[in-house]
Amino acid sequence: MSTASTRTPKRRWVAAALVSALAGATCLATAACGAAAPQSQAGGGTAEQAQKLVVWDWHSGDASTKAYYDKAKSDFEAKHPGVQVDFVAQPYDQYYTLLGTAIQAGKGPDIAMFNGGAQMRERATSLLPLDDKTADLKDRLVGWDAFKDAGTTYAVPITLQGFPFYYNKAVYKKAGLDPETPPKTLAELQTDCAAIKKSGNVCFNLGNKEGIGIEFFLSGFAPGVFSPAQYDAWLAGKRDWKSPEVKQIFDLWKQTNDDGWYNKGVNSTAMFNDQFTMFSGGKGGNVIGLISDTAHWKSFDEFLGPDLGVYQAPILNPANVSKTFLPAEGGIGYGVMKWTKSPDLAVDLIKSLAGTDAEKQFFEKAGAIAADKTIDTSTVDVKAAGQIVSWLPDSKPLLHTALSAKTLDLMHRLSQQLISGDVTVDAALTQLAASDK
Amino acid sequence: MTSAGEAITTPRRTTARVRRWHISEHKLAPLVLVTPALLVIVGLRIVPLILGAQYSLTGDGARNGMFVGLGNYRALAGDPVFRTAIKNVGLLFVALPVAVAVPGILATFLFLKVPGHRFYRSVYFFPVVLSPVIIGAIFNILLSYDGPLNQGLGKLGIGPVDWLGNSHVAIFSVIGVHIWATFGMALVIFMAGFSTLDQSLLDAARCDGANLPQTIRHVVVPELSRTIQFVFVTTMIGMLTGMFGLVYVMTAGGPGGATYLPEFYVWVTQGQMNSPALASAASMVLFVLMLVVGLAQIRLIKRVTKEV
Repeated sequence: MSTASTRTPKRRWVAAALVSALAGATCLATAACGAAAPQSQAGGGTAEQAQKLVVWDWHSGDASTKAYYDKAKSDFEAKHPGVQVDFVAQPYDQYYTLLGTAIQAGKGPDIAMFNGGAQMRERATSLLPLDDKTADLKDRLVGWDAFKDAGTTYAVPITLQGFPFYYNKAVYKKAGLDPETPPKTLAELQTDCAAIKKSGNVCFNLGNKEGIGIEFFLSGFAPGVFSPAQYDAWLAGKRDWKSPEVKQIFDLWKQTNDDGWYNKGVNSTAMFNDQFTMFSGGKGGNVIGLISDTAHWKSFDEFLGPDLGVYQAPILNPANVSKTFLPAEGGIGYGVMKWTKSPDLAVDLIKSLAGTDAEKQFFEKAGAIAADKTIDTSTVDVKAAGQIVSWLPDSKPLLHTALSAKTLDLMHRLSQQLISGDVTVDAALTQLAASDK
Repeated sequence: MTSAGEAITTPRRTTARVRRWHISEHKLAPLVLVTPALLVIVGLRIVPLILGAQYSLTGDGARNGMFVGLGNYRALAGDPVFRTAIKNVGLLFVALPVAVAVPGILATFLFLKVPGHRFYRSVYFFPVVLSPVIIGAIFNILLSYDGPLNQGLGKLGIGPVDWLGNSHVAIFSVIGVHIWATFGMALVIFMAGFSTLDQSLLDAARCDGANLPQTIRHVVVPELSRTIQFVFVTTMIGMLTGMFGLVYVMTAGGPGGATYLPEFYVWVTQGQMNSPALASAASMVLFVLMLVVGLAQIRLIKRVTKEV
């Protein structure tokens, strides 16, 4: 049996280890307590790691975009042999959550895909300014404004985003309407909707479960409501939420629902993809769709074929508007994260991703209207695609992407409350004006 | 040469030292044994908790890393969405007795061995093994505006209800589905509690002429008091922290933010609004809320189930 004196050194060691471990954990906590989220470069790295670029996106797993990514990758690898490129496809509904976590940790991809507007601007402090690195792209690509924050460019546009009105000619025909003459004014739209409703279809397919239906409605109809000066002022940040024009759009949002333009239960119907599935399935006369990476001419053409038609926003306010246009701007783009070890390589990879050959694949195979204006779009024989491309030179940016994420989130909730009758249009606009200060 | 006095005092000092070490040994041994667990708890629980608390006192965006005191907590107090989330926690309280009573009553039937009790036991437990996302997707179909439930109601002459799109109904739909999806686990716990019931007490009650309600009130409930406490607390914690999947899939927090719960608020604030410090403050509120609720429930249930 050992004595107390013989065990003492071991006990001391154990005690010391225990105390050290606890102290270490406490120190870790204490040290970390003083640290904010890293703002700049994080961690070291070996030379081998520097020769690898990681790209986060939500598309590289899609079969329809495989040709695009293959083309971009081969182009880059030809210029930079030995540099490995990893495209990591994240689920879209988790994308910004994952990216937010990466930003807080100061570690993550070298390059990230962004939606233009608020989603990119909210994260601009984590991105490298690209103006002095992308001068050679400025003329070839369009849609830069959506990827600028305070005049500085943080991402390169790959596709354009816009809100054309798609319609189903078969539904129009069934309602006794001329399928080749979509509505050009509010009066015509109301007449058409009444006829479509009478024929047993809904006039518009709408899903507002996420609250984003209002974004499409506001940006989609605004070219027919706002005067050019008002439109530009809104984009410049001078937004008058109490103006008759804004009220007109929000009134219309509520009124059209009350008048039964939409499928029932819009607040419990998902926009992606229930709303667009209904339209593709011929269960609606119209839908405000996209031109970027989903719910666009190509996905509708697959189901509707020659019955697919497209038109620009009708004129709702003749006092302000004599001619409308397609609201469109940069859709998705790539930015370089601040912590990348090889900014120049990352920019070169983005240039490959924005290359004409790669973008052509994105347009032809995936249906996204590319940001590259030099692409020959005549190879696609879908009439709607040709019309959309022809409208691009007159387009102006979307109204809702000029808003902050906070105001957009509020607008999503208010759009649902307007439909359910829990808030008045005036009260909703008051809240939005307060949020948008 | 030492004096007599020294000769006496020196052994005393040695004895005292030995005794002190002896006490330390007893204290040290358990500490050494629990050290691995302690390190895991400190490293993976306490440190993140302290970090979260610290982070909740800093700013977001341009003020990232700056100390803002209680600014985030003031922002939460002024945010109607967060207030709705907290209000919905109150609704969870209201629903809690139902969430406990349903498995309690069903477990009683199973304990009484109603015909087919083995089959029912499996069926009741089955939803527990399903992912909330799958359950949400199933109920999205069942509860959709033109879904089977509304079609059934239509045949009864009752107008359709927008179960997930009506701001006054949606939260009850989500809570109802959550109760349906999770009561199997509470049922199993109740079954385990029933298996520990002292049969002699039940026999004694029967001999004394107690009827079923009296037996339940004076024998079953006091005997199951610890089980009931446990089910109450775990069910409440499950409601506060385990409904994210359902809310996300079924309503996405809508309509109009009517189905927000603190956990969903934390996710939206961090992931969608890119405001991690504000999200940390919200999660600290949720943590304190759970702590208070858990302790209050234990105290309350102890008092209620104590046989006088």
